[in-house]
Amino acid sequence: MANPFSRISNALGTLPRWVYVGLALAFAIVFPMLEYFGLMETLWLRLGTRTLVYVLLAVGLNLVLGETGLLHLGYVAFFAVGAYSTAILSSPRFDLQWNFWAILLVATGMAMLFGFVVGVPSLRLRGDYLAIVTLAFGEIMRMTLNNWETLTNGPGGIPGIYPPNIFGWVVDQPAEFYYLLLVFVVIIVALVSNLKNSRIGRAWNALREDEIAAHHSGVRPTQAKMLAVIMSSGIAGLAGAIFAYYQQFINPTYFLFMQSVIVVCMVVLGGMGSIPGAILGAVALDATPEIIRQTFTAWLPRAVGSDFLPGVQAALQTEFDRYRMLIFGLVIVLMVIFRPEGLLPNKLWRREVREEDPRELEHTRQHLFDFEEGKQDLEV
Amino acid sequence: MTLEHIFGLTVSGLTVGMIYALIALGYTMVYGVLQLINFAHGEIFTIGGYLATSTLIWIGVDATTPLSLKVAYFGLALLLSIVLTALLGFLIERVAYRPLRQRSRIIALLSAIGVSIFLQNGIVVVFGPQPIIMPTAVVPTGFIEVFGARIRVLQIAIILISLVLMGALTWIVKGTRMGKAMRATSQDREAAEMMGIETNLTISFTFVIGSALAAIGGFLVAMYYGSLQFNTGFLYGLKAFTAAVLGGIGNIPGAVVGSLVLGLAENWGVGLNLGILAWLFVAGLLLGLYFQFVRAPQSRIDHIAEEFRTPAYERAVRDVYRFAPVVAVKTLFAERTDALLHVSAQHAVRLTAANVILAGLAVLFFINGDVQFASKWQHVISFAVLMAILMFRPSGILGENIQEKV
Repeated sequence: MANPFSRISNALGTLPRWVYVGLALAFAIVFPMLEYFGLMETLWLRLGTRTLVYVLLAVGLNLVLGETGLLHLGYVAFFAVGAYSTAILSSPRFDLQWNFWAILLVATGMAMLFGFVVGVPSLRLRGDYLAIVTLAFGEIMRMTLNNWETLTNGPGGIPGIYPPNIFGWVVDQPAEFYYLLLVFVVIIVALVSNLKNSRIGRAWNALREDEIAAHHSGVRPTQAKMLAVIMSSGIAGLAGAIFAYYQQFINPTYFLFMQSVIVVCMVVLGGMGSIPGAILGAVALDATPEIIRQTFTAWLPRAVGSDFLPGVQAALQTEFDRYRMLIFGLVIVLMVIFRPEGLLPNKLWRREVREEDPRELEHTRQHLFDFEEGKQDLEV
Repeated sequence: MTLEHIFGLTVSGLTVGMIYALIALGYTMVYGVLQLINFAHGEIFTIGGYLATSTLIWIGVDATTPLSLKVAYFGLALLLSIVLTALLGFLIERVAYRPLRQRSRIIALLSAIGVSIFLQNGIVVVFGPQPIIMPTAVVPTGFIEVFGARIRVLQIAIILISLVLMGALTWIVKGTRMGKAMRATSQDREAAEMMGIETNLTISFTFVIGSALAAIGGFLVAMYYGSLQFNTGFLYGLKAFTAAVLGGIGNIPGAVVGSLVLGLAENWGVGLNLGILAWLFVAGLLLGLYFQFVRAPQSRIDHIAEEFRTPAYERAVRDVYRFAPVVAVKTLFAERTDALLHVSAQHAVRLTAANVILAGLAVLFFINGDVQFASKWQHVISFAVLMAILMFRPSGILGENIQEKV
């Protein structure tokens, strides 16, 4: 194919998958040690921890948005359910200090329950209703958290969440949280990638491609979609619980609609229906803005030895977030127009979104030809 | 809880409802022709309001300006905002939606969300994050007393302007060649194209009309509340979409009915105490009971083919509705069952659930008759209405404008 990007990605695609998984995992494990040996500021470790939370969210949302093809715009509400369950059950607010595992179970379970409640009215309907119902649910959740002051303390939030105690190991250092999250990320990713190739995963993909055909092939649409929504809600609840522990303080401003949109962007940017894509999307969207900001406000001035373009610096300090969202919006539009399959696409989805692209068709034809000639295994 | 209080709430509910309707019409028309939720519509509305307001600020209207000049400036600001906003709507469709028309709907929706985020932050970059304040000199401040309630002249003006615009829209859709093309495009785009209709032009026209209506809505909101903020359109867009779904999406009269219902629900919901609201649930319960025991079984029976129509079968269908949930659940879990009975049983269980919930809410509200919802729950009420309508009547109050497609 002529596109240089595809050529590079095809060349890289010849390496076996375990090489990439191993490299990524090795980097993830070594990353906090850089901070330990003084090679990196703590800021980056905090950023890494936050990124891992986003990775969990992106992988969870990918189940609904990528695998099943349902647009979910209130994902952060389930994250909030997990976080608030934790904050209420393990903080001085109600003088409770539940066991870590019990809280994890309650946070995940509550999020799943809410997922069920949202799914019941919306999943029987056409796809775009789900987008609006989840969006509305996200807003209801945020307003309820803001207004129900006897439970959530309203805009003041819940401070002083106790650190988790896992069989005597009190997790309270940033690096410890990082590793705790990493363990959960690995477990969830392993779980989800197995699920993806199971009967359930195939059913989800079939629904995404053609709901009527899937229904007639014996997939129960509502049940399968419900399962996807409930599972992804559970993952968000889990992420929320760990996030609350890490943050030690939560209030409704952590759970704005924009957060849901950012997670959607991560999944779209990385490639819908692709787990490595979701992880890459989360890392790219969470780390890149910070890297840009640091480049201009800390690294370049240090390298040059003086203040570097004070106007640009001031703009980056104060108005960065505004421009960041502006660029996010632009990135979504450009991505869906020019590269709807994302950075690390899932092959099936690419074929679907670019149904009428003749080059792609030619590629597939060539692929089938190679297969018939015995040159290559047929991979789907 | 006096009568004039209720009357005042009703008028402000209708005013807000009319503004929702102006926005909802844009949603519903675009959904009609493209089956796309134009997520950026809320932002178009905000930009319309911003443009008109900033024109008035720029001209510098104050209390000393004579009335005739005020009216002229007013018209100029409105015209400028309508033209620019319509152009924006046209451009959005051209740049962000048209290249995606053959792709799956979720992709187009994502693009719409991207445009919405872009525009919202674009407003912040251009106008700054602080709210824009309408010059008070142009806002009519008079009021008249009807049944002892003070009604602002502005409220009456908003309701009248909206009614005129809706009349004009109805004329465009029903009476002109372009309207005919719009209706044809929404029925079946390919067939319309084969009949020689320029569907691209028609779709662009739909966006232009919808955006112009939203711009007027933005201006009216800026006058009514005195200010606008960059994220005002998000909530208004969401409410207007809710209204469009409430009335039946793709259905133009439905959007108006849904908007008025939503506006009234919001204002009554936080303005009246629960004892009065309970009567609404009683009315709903009566309607629900009528559906469950009269209307629904009759329409099911009408579906039975002539050769299968026996008194026993008819009784079976009626029983499913009458003795729900016992018979209905028994039917649902039976080994082999008749398709019509199965569907009826599902329907009956849903209807029973709705009636039980309505009765429960009515009782709950009567018990706590003196309590009143705090106004901070206003938005939660409207979203709860959306969830409820999707649960029990997903096609909306007036039904969806779904055309048969093969």
